[in-house]
This record gives sequence, C-alpha cells and structure tokens, in this order.
Amino acid sequence: MLGGNIKMAMAALRSSKWRSLLTMLGIIIGVVSVVTTVSLGEGVKKQVAGQINRLGSDLITIRPGQVVTRDASGNITKINLSSGLGINSGSLPANDLGVIQGTPNVRLAVPISLISGGARTEERQYNSGYIIGTSEKMPEVLKQKVNYGAFFTVGELKRHVAVIGQTVAEQLFSENVPIGMSFSIHGQEFIVRGVMDKFDSPPLALGPDFNSAIFIPYEIGKQLAGGNVQLSQVLVRPGKPELTGATIAAINKRLTAAHGQQNDFTVLRQDENLAVTSDILNLLTGFIAGIAAISLLVGGIGIMNIMLVSVTERTREIGIRKAVGATNRQILGQFLVEALVLSVVGGIIGTLLALLINVLLRIFTNLQPVISWPVVLLASLVVLVVGVIFGITPAAKAARKDPIDALRYE
Amino acid sequence: MSLIALKDVSKLYGFGDATTVALDEIELEIEQGEFVAVMGPSGSGKSTLMNIIGLLDRPTHGSYTLGNRAAARLRANQRAKLRRDKIGFVFQSYNLLPRLNVLENVALPLAYKGVSVTRRLKRAGLVLEQIGLGDREYFMPRQLSGGQIQRAAIARALINDPSIIIADEPTGNLDSSSSRLVMELLGEVHKSGNTILMVTHNPELTRYANRVVYMHDGSIVHDERTPIGQVPKLARRTMQLFPRKTEEDDLAGVSALMKALPGKLSARKKPKAKTHKRSRKAPRRKAKN
Repeated sequence: MLGGNIKMAMAALRSSKWRSLLTMLGIIIGVVSVVTTVSLGEGVKKQVAGQINRLGSDLITIRPGQVVTRDASGNITKINLSSGLGINSGSLPANDLGVIQGTPNVRLAVPISLISGGARTEERQYNSGYIIGTSEKMPEVLKQKVNYGAFFTVGELKRHVAVIGQTVAEQLFSENVPIGMSFSIHGQEFIVRGVMDKFDSPPLALGPDFNSAIFIPYEIGKQLAGGNVQLSQVLVRPGKPELTGATIAAINKRLTAAHGQQNDFTVLRQDENLAVTSDILNLLTGFIAGIAAISLLVGGIGIMNIMLVSVTERTREIGIRKAVGATNRQILGQFLVEALVLSVVGGIIGTLLALLINVLLRIFTNLQPVISWPVVLLASLVVLVVGVIFGITPAAKAARKDPIDALRYE
Repeated sequence: MSLIALKDVSKLYGFGDATTVALDEIELEIEQGEFVAVMGPSGSGKSTLMNIIGLLDRPTHGSYTLGNRAAARLRANQRAKLRRDKIGFVFQSYNLLPRLNVLENVALPLAYKGVSVTRRLKRAGLVLEQIGLGDREYFMPRQLSGGQIQRAAIARALINDPSIIIADEPTGNLDSSSSRLVMELLGEVHKSGNTILMVTHNPELTRYANRVVYMHDGSIVHDERTPIGQVPKLARRTMQLFPRKTEEDDLAGVSALMKALPGKLSARKKPKAKTHKRSRKAPRRKAKN
C-alpha cells in the first residue's frame, strides 16, 4: 500500500509540475542554505585546525585582552567571544616582549605588531595589506619558508628592509620576484629582501592574512609608529616542548606582575587557540544556519497550503475512492504520503544542490567547504518531520470528508 | 433469506422544526439475482435509499441487513470495508479517476483490499476483456466515449465480485445507442447471476429489470415484478401519455406516473409541514443531481 501510495503521489505531483516545484522551493532553499553554511563553517574550522596543527603543539601565543577565563588549575572555563573577535580593552605594551624573552625556557619570542599605514611605489599604492613589525626569528617560529631571497637577519634589524607576502608582490609590484626593488611607508624607503612562501591562511581565520603582509624589522616599525607600538601577538617557542605548560604559567606570572596584577592578556597553548577559533566559528555558523532553518519552516507552511488546495480540488476523487472502499485511514495515508513526497523530494534536491554548490565553491574560491553528514542527516530528518507536521492537517481534512458530499462536488 | 433487507428504515435531515424526511419507514427486501429498477421524481428519496443500501450513509432509524450482516449501525471504517467487498457503484457521471488509465481505474477497489499491483492489474485486465474493452486498457478515460467509460465503470464495479451493483442513472449522460450498449451490458451482468439495483428516470429502461419499485416522498408507493424484456404496465402508461424527448419530458413522465397512482398517494396523508419542508429541499437535491 505504501509503495502504491508513493507511486500515486509521484503521479499526482508530476501532473502539476510547476506547482510542485514551487512548493518544494521553500524546502530546497532551506536545505541548501543550512547544509552550505554548516559545511563552510566546518571547512574553515578544518583549515584552521590544519594550520594550527602544522605550527606544532608547543607554540605559545600571547594576545592582549582576556580571551578566556581559567580556573585555578589553568583549564579554560569560558571563552570570551568579544575578546576573541578583537573587541577588547587589554593591551600588550612593547616592553612586554622583554618580559617574555626573559622568562626561563623561552627559546624564541617573536613580536607581531601591526603598524598603521600603506605602502607605495612610484606607480602604485597598496593600502589593503598589513605592515607587521617582527623579528628575524619569525620564519622559524611559524615554520614558514622564504620563497625568494631571504628574511632579514640580525644585522639588518636597524635597517629599512622588508620581506613581503605573495599578494603584496603581485599587487604592489605586479611581479613575482621584486627583490631589490623599493617602496615607501610614511615617506621612508624600504628595500625588498625576500618574498615569503604562500601562507595557507584560512579565509575566515582570526588575525591578519600574512600573504598580504609586509614584514619589517620590529625596531623600524617602532620608529614608524612614533616609538609607541602595541603588540597584537607574541609568538613563543619553548626550549623544551615538554615544559610548555610550565612555561605558560611562568609567562603568565611575570606578565601579570608587569601589568600591575592586571590580567588583561591571554597566554594560549596551540590547542586552546584552536578551541577559541572553533568556538567563534561554531557560533557564527550556528547563527546563520539557524536563520536558514527558518526557511524550512516557511517551506513546510507552503506544503500545507498547497495540500489544502489540493484536497479541496480533489474532493470528487476522494469521494470516488471512498465509494470503491477506501477507508479514512487509507485516504489519510495517501495525502500524507503526498505531502511527505513533496518535502522529501525537496530535501533531496536541496541536498544535491548543496553538494553542487560545495564543488563549485571548491573550484572557484579558496574556500574548502566540508559536507557535514550529520547535518545532512539532521536536515533530512527535519524535512521529514516538516512533511508530517504540515501534511497531517490537510490529509485529515481529506479523510474526514463525507463520501456523499464528496461525490457530488463539482 | 434475502440478500438485502431494510426494515423501517428512515432517514431524517436536520432536527427540531427543520427536520426533513428523506426516507420514511422503508420496507424493502431484495433477493439474490434480482434486477431492481427504482423510479420516482427528484427528491423522492431514491438517491438516499441508494446511499444507505450502498453503505455510503447510515439510516437514522431502522435496520439494514446486507447478506447476513447487520449494516445499519456500522462505523465508517467497517462500512468502507463492507462497501469495498460487497458493493459496486456505477454513477451517472462515470466517476473514473481522470489521472489513472482504464486498467488502473478498474483495479482501484482491489488496491484498497491490499492486492498486489500485478495481481490486481491482471484481474482488471480479465474483467475488461469480458466486457469487451480489452483493447482499451491503457487508454485514459478522456480518450474514451461516454459509453466506453461507463462500461469501464461497470467493470470497476464488478471487479470485487460484489453482492450487489448499485447503478444511479447509469445512462443519464449517454445518447440512446450508448445507453443501449450499457444497458445490454448490465443485462448480461444480471444474467450471469449478479444482483443489480438501478435508479432511472427512463421508463424504457425498466425492460431490463425484473422488478420495478416506485418511490414518492421518501416512501415506496408501488413495487411490481415484471418479466425481463417488458416495460411494466405503469411505466408504459407514462410513456404513452408523454412520449419521451428530453430529460424534462422524462421527469414530467415520472410525475405523471405518480399521479396515475391516486390510491397509493391519497392513502398516505402527510402532515402539511412535512410536505412543505420537502418542497424546500427539492431544489437543492435537483441542483446536485
């Protein structure tokens, strides 16, 4: 009977193709948007995780502001999302770098300080990137290679030299290897020493995209900023990776003392960094997917609407079916299956469309969406539930019809 | 024992002052193998009687036995199943489902019995073959003539080997030659042992029946047996008085028939209020036919 019902329902839907398609549109849009947003979020999360893992678990990041709240034993109890997104009141003044460098077991401590301003050559101007003051150890601490030329050395820390990301090379000089060429920041001339290998920066990652960054020596950056510079991050590699925990505790203690017992900074292990990023991404994707899910509800209402119309239109058919012996339950089943077919077919089309969009995104953008099968499953389940909930009222209406009146219906 | 036995069956609509009586204490027994023609003017309760016998409706009072089963007080679900197994309907307006082909239409009652698709289509094919529509199996109803559609409808009514076939003006929408074909088919069906209950306005068609029942105002006013092939006396009289040309003549003929039964009518004195209500009801029913 069920198989027959499905076949019958398909025939009924085929007989009014446009109407069925438009009815399914709500469900299709809902499924596509939910699945796509979640898979985008998952993809970004995976890229972030990949990058963070590549950097190694012993990398310590110190950031301004209280990004996380810890309990006494150092476990994260709460992630402060606004701080994580960059809205915070904390700061890392320049001399914190010395404090961190002086901590035992700190092998490398590399400052990342953002300096305002844009770069220009005689022909072009480049304002959309970042100017980052850092030290000669930056490639080592980020395990990043220099593609052409070399990073600036200890001896060049007081000189106007720069290493640029790939995007900068393309956009400021429109060539891949602009080594030896010069540009100016705030009227001061810099010479390009090298071009970095491509950073595999995830699209929605927090923090600057290093591919569009101009790295200059930290001290020069300080001068450019008028001597007063804030650190946006300090990256630390401990001497002994197994002592990472102790090192974090030590940095924490020293910085707290240096900040006058104010805890307005955060020292994060790499896995904690991942947790913070994932948390923020989860919030964002959840929020967008939630909005998208509303269209599933609207789609359900559309199905109910069209089923109510269909039941009225087919009153006579219901009468005939009852006359030849259909019970109320069989009529209910027929119309319920029809509503279900509408919603499920919509769900299937939506899922296929979402898969297609995924492939297209992978081909044409640098996004790497990952289809999250639990979400596809959940969406299918929701679609099924929507079909039942919004199909049951029209189906019950059909089943309750009096056969005599239904047979007379014109 | 009779196949169908109605005892004191009444059907009332509305309540209180607005009560209308559609059937008034009907007594009717139909034996296995009878071909009963029911005649009467619009609003005389023919359709209500068909609906009750066909288990589409329930009587307000009285008892109805179908086969050996008390059917008057059954719930909708049980009525549907009994309808499926014991009753075959043939309607004036054919009532095939337009989206199904002839074969699927004929097989429809079996679907609700839970017969598998292949088996029910096979059975439907056999029945269509028997009634001479074997070559129209895969036609859609709209591709057939009225007579062919009605014959397919008769095939649908036959598919479950029903105890009784209820035909409500089966030739009402057909021209005379198609009518004859359909009636010949019903006659054949009757000859092979089926019980048929047919409503008609056309006295000519009573020649296929072996019993004619006349209704008026919700009551059976005359019940006569007649050999097959003959139009019974009363019906013939209305035919001679008003040679049938149109449907309206037909209706007038039936009214004349009712007038020709003075004894029966005057014997049934009705309260004035009731007849008044009936006349108010009449236009509604007419509109729905």
